[in-house]
Amino acid sequence: MLEFFGRFHPVFVHLPIGILLLGYICILLSFAAKFTNLKPAIPIMLLLGAFSAVISCITGYLLANGGDYDGKLVSNHQWMGISVAVLSFVLWIVYQKIKSKAILGTIATVLIALVSITGHLGGSLTHGSDYLTAPLKSDSKKGGAAIPPIPNVQEAFVYQNAIQPLFQNRCYSCHGSEKQKGKLRLDQQDYILKGGKNGHTIVRGKADDSELMKRILLPLSDEDHMAPKEKPQLTANEIVLLKWWIDNGADFKKKFKDLHQPDNIKTILISLQKGESGAEQAKTSDIPAEEVSAVDNKILKKFTDAGITVFPVAQNTNYLSVNFVNAQSMGKDVLDLIKSIEKQLLWLKLENHKVNDQTLTAIKDCKNLTRLNLNNSGITDAGLASLKDLEQLQTLSLVGTKITMKGINQLKKLKKLKFLYVYQTGITKGDLAGIKKILPKVSLDTGNYKVPLVAQDTVVVKVP
Amino acid sequence: MTRDELNAHRLVKEAQEANARLHSRRHFLKESAMGLGALAMGSLLGSCGHLFSSPQTKIAYDPAHPLLPKSPPLVGKARSVIYLHMAGAPSQLELFDFKPELMKMDGQDCPPSLLAGKKFAFITGVPKMLGPQANFAKYGQSGALVSDNLPHFSTMVDEVSFLKAVKTDQFNHAPAQLLVHTGSPRLGRPSMGSWVTYGLGSENQNLPGYVVLTSGGSFPDAGKSVWGSGFLPSVYQGVQCRSEGDPVLFIKDPDGMNRDLRKASIEAINKANEQQYQEYNDPEILSRIAQYEMAYRMQISAPEVMNINDEPAYIHEMYGTQPGKACFANNVLLARKLVEKGVRYVQLFDWGWDAHGDNPNNSLNIGLKNKCRTIDRPITALLLDLKQRGLLEETLVVWGGEFGRTPMMENRNGIQNPFKGRDHHTEAFTIWMAGGGIKKGFTHGETDEIGYSAVSGKVDAFDIQATILNQLGFDHEQFTYPFQGRPFRLTDVAGKVISEIVA
Repeated sequence: MLEFFGRFHPVFVHLPIGILLLGYICILLSFAAKFTNLKPAIPIMLLLGAFSAVISCITGYLLANGGDYDGKLVSNHQWMGISVAVLSFVLWIVYQKIKSKAILGTIATVLIALVSITGHLGGSLTHGSDYLTAPLKSDSKKGGAAIPPIPNVQEAFVYQNAIQPLFQNRCYSCHGSEKQKGKLRLDQQDYILKGGKNGHTIVRGKADDSELMKRILLPLSDEDHMAPKEKPQLTANEIVLLKWWIDNGADFKKKFKDLHQPDNIKTILISLQKGESGAEQAKTSDIPAEEVSAVDNKILKKFTDAGITVFPVAQNTNYLSVNFVNAQSMGKDVLDLIKSIEKQLLWLKLENHKVNDQTLTAIKDCKNLTRLNLNNSGITDAGLASLKDLEQLQTLSLVGTKITMKGINQLKKLKKLKFLYVYQTGITKGDLAGIKKILPKVSLDTGNYKVPLVAQDTVVVKVP
Repeated sequence: MTRDELNAHRLVKEAQEANARLHSRRHFLKESAMGLGALAMGSLLGSCGHLFSSPQTKIAYDPAHPLLPKSPPLVGKARSVIYLHMAGAPSQLELFDFKPELMKMDGQDCPPSLLAGKKFAFITGVPKMLGPQANFAKYGQSGALVSDNLPHFSTMVDEVSFLKAVKTDQFNHAPAQLLVHTGSPRLGRPSMGSWVTYGLGSENQNLPGYVVLTSGGSFPDAGKSVWGSGFLPSVYQGVQCRSEGDPVLFIKDPDGMNRDLRKASIEAINKANEQQYQEYNDPEILSRIAQYEMAYRMQISAPEVMNINDEPAYIHEMYGTQPGKACFANNVLLARKLVEKGVRYVQLFDWGWDAHGDNPNNSLNIGLKNKCRTIDRPITALLLDLKQRGLLEETLVVWGGEFGRTPMMENRNGIQNPFKGRDHHTEAFTIWMAGGGIKKGFTHGETDEIGYSAVSGKVDAFDIQATILNQLGFDHEQFTYPFQGRPFRLTDVAGKVISEIVA
């Protein structure tokens, strides 16, 4: 029952904050001759503020008794809160005895400082101590994967490199040093093994019996599901990894290579190495990490007017996809337009017979370009020289052009190139070995596929 | 006018005047004060809406340029979709879902456990079980099972992801087709292609963003609603093109009408429409203006793109086209050409897969085999051709029907059908997807040992729609359109992305 009243603490705390702040402002204003008529109201404000502070202290005490909070932070908050209540009474009394502006002003300022600190500590208790500053830090950890990429995954420690960061990003905010919902802490080995209120948080070797796994696997709509519905969820891979760790004895010392790895774990480990622990991460990895400024709408309109479609590849980014399929001309003005979006250009389709080597000179500094389609354009080997510094290029499609091995040899620096389409060009399957040598990651498609004629093709089954 | 008529006339007039007095301006204001207040309140509260609801995907709908390309919320793996719908529902048991156990039960009476409480479209009483009417073998590195009905496609299994446990709750063609394409078995919802073009626009302003091609001699049972735009602006409905003769009727200027005259007349029409718009402010009028302009541009570009005769002979050979005829192979080649030119969504329907066994053309060992001949080469060619042009990466290809077929032989009205055939079946059937960020050489879902019901990896139409939208960069739960006072989604209140098949 007492805890019920404690739950009103977050409601009541706003009263002293508001009232005392108003009182403070009125005190300062009343120092000016113009606002002396405020004076009679000030003692009432201070008294109301003091009383509401007391009520906040009491409800706060009841709430803290309910547990779930970090002792040290709570105690700081508590004593600050009490001093706010006491000091506001002091100010109320002093205000009626002393008229010195300096003394009143000082006490009132100290009081407001105390109110601010108490409020901040309270906020840290509810939202986590890094809540205020989190937006200032790199937001790479928001959403996406909880486990940072592990370069040499087999040599890494299972707990230290994967499980701990997972807990840290998905669980600590409620089950860490500051809050212990359900009396559970997941930030240290002893606490993890000790478990929470219901015990059995982790049953070594038996993930299915572990309360932790049970809660994670409950349907999202279930009240006991973890992480809570409104918080970021564990990805499918993270769940599999966690289950694997518990099934293998929830060891805190072993390395990945020490544990038996079934096929599904192997694939997850490979993706961990690449830094894709979840599907969301894979999606965002299509866009360079570095942000670029938005292109002016006027420039975009010029593209549209020239029959060129241009649009950001996704709503949350300024990187652009541009398609020249209907471009009416490839004159100098168009080339200059391309140059003006050099940085933002991510995907480019130049599949248009008007495109030639001259066109390619316009994209030679499009350093962020990842996909380039030059199918059926008039480019030659000489033109490919313009692509030699496009190091981010992953897909290059040259179908139906006059490109030969001579042109490809200029692309040595494109180490990230994954797909190279050279159907109907001067490149043949025989050149594959040579291309592999300069572009080791590339998968080459020379096309020219045939669907052979088989006996069945011509058979028409008739009614017997 | 007789006296009676005059009196009646006066009475009517009097009644109208009395009625009008009741609806004076003062009366209107008095009566509507409450309503206006509520409206104002509503719009005030509306601005607080974002505090209570999760953010919805914002689609900027510009009625003057409805098909300009738009960004998806997230980076999509796929840019275009080619949906190959085998209307009539092909038999999964003769194509992909091999059940040796069913062979052993061939000719036996169907166990009552499979019939109790179930409804079928035609089966009545106790039907006989029917073993697979094709031979199966494992293909590719993935070892996927494919029947000898599809000798060419069997070489492509390492490019596709099979969904072998698709379920539906509709056992009649039209509602089942509507469910697959519009998310509702009843009429009135926008089709998937409409949603996609509404959300993404099109990359080619000279062609429709959503093209529909039909073959097999008949429309899908659900009619044109299956590519309708429902409550979305009408500009997003599928544009049906013909694969025989002019792609769109009346696309050529009539004799004596030259290009300039055509342009002048369209400008005049649009001017008149603009005046209408000034008067009524109906955004559909702007769409209409945009449509006229596009039609004008299409006159030039559509015949060029839609003309498959320009393709070299080896491509025709690869697809097995029959120039001049309306056939599936021609449509598939056309689909590749359209996607290459930036068309967003190409929907193919091929009619004639309803193998009941009531006549030879509808039987598993005659009609179905012949039908397979008409698709085997084209679908194989499509995947290969997209691949060699670097388009398979960004084009999602989906193949499937609206439901599956029973492991029992159909006995219409309790009498065994004269040819080998199967009834409509809702519990399990096979659909495959390829390209557009879908896993290669993968199988998801399993059916029981006779292929009657799904055992694991069950998915339904909503899951498939959610997955298609996901590949295009949409969260299907956030992709909504406001209609009749609530946001609507393609997947209604269901659907889960089949993350197992997403690469």
